[in-house]
Amino acid sequence: MLNQMTQPPENFSKQESKVRVWDIPVRLFHWTLASCFIVAWLTLDNRYLDIHVFAGYLMGGLILFRLLWGFIGSPYARFRNFTFSRLEVWDYLKGVLHRHPPRFLGHNPAGSWAIHLLLGIGLSIIISGLLGFGGEEQQGPLAGWLNYPQGELMLEFHEWLSWLMLVMVIIHLMGVLVESLLHQENLVAAMLTGFKPSAVDAVSSASHWKIGSAMLAIIITVSLFWFQGYLTETPEKRYQPFYGSALPDNLLWREECGACHLAFHPSLLPTRSWKAMMEGQVSHFGEDLFLEQNIVKEIEPFLVKNAAEQEATEAAWKINRSIPKAETLLRITETPYWIKKHQKISDAVWGHPKVNSKVNCAACHIDAEVGTFEDAAMHLPDDIEATAITE
Amino acid sequence: MNRKFIGITALLVVIPLYAQADAVSELEAKYQSQGGGPFSAAAGEALWNKTFIDAKTGKGRNCTTCHTTDQTKSGKHARTGKVIKPMAPSVNPKRLTQAKKIKKWFIRNCKWTLGRKCSAQEKGDVLAFLKSL
Repeated sequence: MLNQMTQPPENFSKQESKVRVWDIPVRLFHWTLASCFIVAWLTLDNRYLDIHVFAGYLMGGLILFRLLWGFIGSPYARFRNFTFSRLEVWDYLKGVLHRHPPRFLGHNPAGSWAIHLLLGIGLSIIISGLLGFGGEEQQGPLAGWLNYPQGELMLEFHEWLSWLMLVMVIIHLMGVLVESLLHQENLVAAMLTGFKPSAVDAVSSASHWKIGSAMLAIIITVSLFWFQGYLTETPEKRYQPFYGSALPDNLLWREECGACHLAFHPSLLPTRSWKAMMEGQVSHFGEDLFLEQNIVKEIEPFLVKNAAEQEATEAAWKINRSIPKAETLLRITETPYWIKKHQKISDAVWGHPKVNSKVNCAACHIDAEVGTFEDAAMHLPDDIEATAITE
Repeated sequence: MNRKFIGITALLVVIPLYAQADAVSELEAKYQSQGGGPFSAAAGEALWNKTFIDAKTGKGRNCTTCHTTDQTKSGKHARTGKVIKPMAPSVNPKRLTQAKKIKKWFIRNCKWTLGRKCSAQEKGDVLAFLKSL
């Protein structure tokens, strides 16, 4: 079959007929995968983690499908028809250098290697992403497999692989451009329509429109299912894509600390800060709390027991490790991690009537009350979205 | 069955009112024993709206800074922006039902707003004003 697909350029000039090379599933796979890759790069901001994760899941599903399709799909989609040796790739590249590469109806040897690499790197990106998501966020199907530091390491690997994939994509695009120019044919159009000019006797693929339609239906259904929360949210009750596991709670703490401000969860500051806070209750940021001893006796142990050192959340772990050991900070907003995460937010946002001050976590963090501070549980009040993004 | 239901509902309505009367009268008696009284709602309202200059910031503070001038509406904590539920018992029946809470907030808020403790007379007047709302 390979021979049938490999045609010398002189045949090409006759352009006797058109043959369907790329079936619908291959084309759908190609363009959806490319879109996912772009979307994933555009959603690096933690606020869009749910979209990023969805792009990843979709990419993973697509790659798994493509691996299967490489065995049962139409001729040009099968791996055995685009498996080339190093020598063949070298010969092909030499042909490119001399501006006379042989023409392949399906994948050429260099392109084939690029595809194998892209599939392999893509799959590694998905696996490292899932592990990182399960470790650093404690979310997804692999939640709890790794701890925070391991998850963080995995995400660094994930990022590194993504750069590698970006390089591969650029090489792939240059290959498409060079081959299109050398053979005077539009390969991008071929990936859209599926057809390429060819001799009459060349193998043609079936459209496989049924499988293509099923793929499209699955992608649309799954997207709707994943993002349905956005369709039903209200300005008062924002959609929260991910929920952290419930944190320890205490009624008295909520009532006393939550009377004047958000009841900041103990996991947001280390033990030494909470001890200092209770000791200095006479001058609690300029105000005397007058908390009676029996109240202090219940609240302080709750604060200490669930302080940041317990690493109940990603935020707790990151806040705690960011504070120099010799320092006892009383404000969460003075911790290096908090400062780093909020540095892009302008004064205009902080001063906005709906935000009021840096104390008001709940203005943007949907889950501030429960203290989980999930990455994707962030939503700037509608009318300040624009000011925040221009920063 | 129905009668029982009415009875329980009546109790549920009456208990908070009773508790309010109870907490307020308990405190009024205490303030009287400390030399206060008779208490006037008008004097309480005047105090509520009076501006005190904070020694440190030089800025004016009064009860309305956080509670606003309309006690049937929610107020907002001056520094944190936290919503403060209405003070008027007619809108918020939980108000003035716990002597302990009233005492605590008098201590805290007198110190912040007036920069000193409130006198028994002042506290009694403010209570008279608030319970009339």
